[in-house]
Amino acid sequence: MKQIAVAVSLAFAAVGTTGALAQEKTIKIAGFGAKSGVVRSFGVNSEAAMLAAADQINKAGGIKLADGSKAKIKIDYYDDRCTAEEGISVARRMAGTDALVGVGPTCSNVAEPLFGILQKKVDDKSDSGMQFPIFSDVAIKGGLARISEWSFRNVPNEMTMYSSLFYWLKTQHPTLKTVFGGVEEDFAHSRATWYVVMKDRAIANGYTVAGESKWLLADTNFATQVREMKKANADIVAISAHPFSTCGVLKEMQRQGVKPKLLVGLTSTSSLETMQGCAKQAEGMMIPTSFAPVNKEATAAANATAKFKGSADLHSMAAWENMFILKQVMESENLSGNAKDLASDRRKVRDGLAKLKVTKGLLGDTKRTDDREADKPYLFVQAKSGNWVVLHNPL
Amino acid sequence: MLDFFQSLSDGVLFGSTYALIGIGFTLVFGVMHKLNLSYAAASVGGAYCGLLVLQVFAGAPPVVVFFCAFLAGGLLGWLVYLTCFHFIPISNPLATLMATVGMLLLIDEIIVHLTAGMPVGYPAMFDDVMLRMGEFTVRGDLLMVFAVSMLCMGGLLALLYKTRLGLATRAVSQQTVAALLCGIRVGQVNAMTFVITGLLGGIAGAMIGASVGTLSPLLTTPLTTKGLIVTVIGGLGSVPGAIIAGLLVGGFENVLQQYRGVTERDLYVMLLLFVFLVFRPGGLFAPKGGRD
Repeated sequence: MKQIAVAVSLAFAAVGTTGALAQEKTIKIAGFGAKSGVVRSFGVNSEAAMLAAADQINKAGGIKLADGSKAKIKIDYYDDRCTAEEGISVARRMAGTDALVGVGPTCSNVAEPLFGILQKKVDDKSDSGMQFPIFSDVAIKGGLARISEWSFRNVPNEMTMYSSLFYWLKTQHPTLKTVFGGVEEDFAHSRATWYVVMKDRAIANGYTVAGESKWLLADTNFATQVREMKKANADIVAISAHPFSTCGVLKEMQRQGVKPKLLVGLTSTSSLETMQGCAKQAEGMMIPTSFAPVNKEATAAANATAKFKGSADLHSMAAWENMFILKQVMESENLSGNAKDLASDRRKVRDGLAKLKVTKGLLGDTKRTDDREADKPYLFVQAKSGNWVVLHNPL
Repeated sequence: MLDFFQSLSDGVLFGSTYALIGIGFTLVFGVMHKLNLSYAAASVGGAYCGLLVLQVFAGAPPVVVFFCAFLAGGLLGWLVYLTCFHFIPISNPLATLMATVGMLLLIDEIIVHLTAGMPVGYPAMFDDVMLRMGEFTVRGDLLMVFAVSMLCMGGLLALLYKTRLGLATRAVSQQTVAALLCGIRVGQVNAMTFVITGLLGGIAGAMIGASVGTLSPLLTTPLTTKGLIVTVIGGLGSVPGAIIAGLLVGGFENVLQQYRGVTERDLYVMLLLFVFLVFRPGGLFAPKGGRD
């Protein structure tokens, strides 16, 4: 009788062990960005791209761990409302969970202070900053990853892109000499892009800046600014603003009969939003972008994201790429995937990301810089009949 | 000098939309002595609802969109009354104020969720018309917005001074208890005030959409601020004051934008508000002798 009881116990124990072995591990990745407020579409699209990529990775078996087992990816997406205080609070919450890495945020005004609360230098015992790797997909203001060795970015390099665009315009339209800038003054990205990038690159390529007009993100009347634009009568008008005010300005330009020979826009404007707001007035606008569905892989990524109710653009497709880069890093760094090794696994992810020199992107290889930024391939798109079409591939 | 007159004219014409928003604030305050901070958001909400007609009848003329915005604004006004005033004790001023703040955020977030925050093109009339007098120009669509706004204000004044409803509204605004003793249904008058201001708000939202050419949830906060400034400068509870102040604020901010730039513009508008609060706290048309 005693032997039977022992046998039954052993059998149960064996079944239990097998069950535990059969139970798959889960790797949690935390996404975060704006899912409310006027930039909600960015968060919605990034989340959809991350879910679509995770779905594809999971269907292909998942992530291979150090013990040879496979783990499925689970995405938790947090809303930071595009505000710094909410972003920091979300990051602390993410770090308090079993998430291995964070992918986000949407806004540069969130990324900058958020990177500031991370540990500046790894292994610095005197720095009690958060030790949680963040891999940005959207926040685009230049040079932010330098703030902490735990911060990484896969966002396009606007300096290179606009330099290339103005250089190309100079070769294609040598008779054009002057540029007029329009800038949305109260948004970190648009402001920095005009003053630090567009203006500088235009001058570097031999253009004369004929003037600049300023407006605010929520402005409704652009008559004065467009009159200044009209007076300057520049060959090229470069607008560094987000879709709502870009559309307002373009409509006012149409009313006042301002027809520059060329129209250049902000990277973030090469989206569906602009086409919904003012496709007719944006006709001909040229923008450098790090995504367009120009090859089989990029088209498949866009289609997969659409199934998760997201739209593919330069921002959301960076989130897609981040997922595959993280898969590569997790597998090469031999993650344990156990809860007790969470801190060391996070460190492995950080170290793995820091080691990368080249990553695979949807438009081709992306070079990784020593300051944890990306040098992504790009192309120029142009608004044509309500769509963004590829104008030129400089690479 | 031309720049000055051009900026002034653009600003005054656009200011008519501020006047419409200001009227909504001031009318509710005049009747109920309460601020409805969700008014501008409901107005933009009404304008968005107007676009629904294009989902059913693609290519419907702008005037149909405006009319639907007008009706939707009225409905939203009534809903705001029900949720923020009808069931909340009026004796607690903070409760209704906070309820309208909550409603502002709710409407804003509903719009954001339904549109993913994306700007939506809004139909306009006469947007390709530009009247020219030498270098001086006047936008046809802004002129239309101005005319519609003036028409609405005229209609509102006629309603207030020529109808029994207007008489009841004025009676409630002047002496609620006396109005009650005269047999006026105060609750009904209050509800009607919200419907009327809602109708005006719907048309204000549509006119703003038409003049910008695009509608975005970004508009709700600045319009709320402008509406409140207009209400204070015009005199709390004064409809003619809101009209004059709306045009004044529109012209003032546009001229200052011309000469001091966009980053200083709002600073001066706020300064104007402080000047009024200090030297003429009752606004341009302060009610004589206050109210009882």
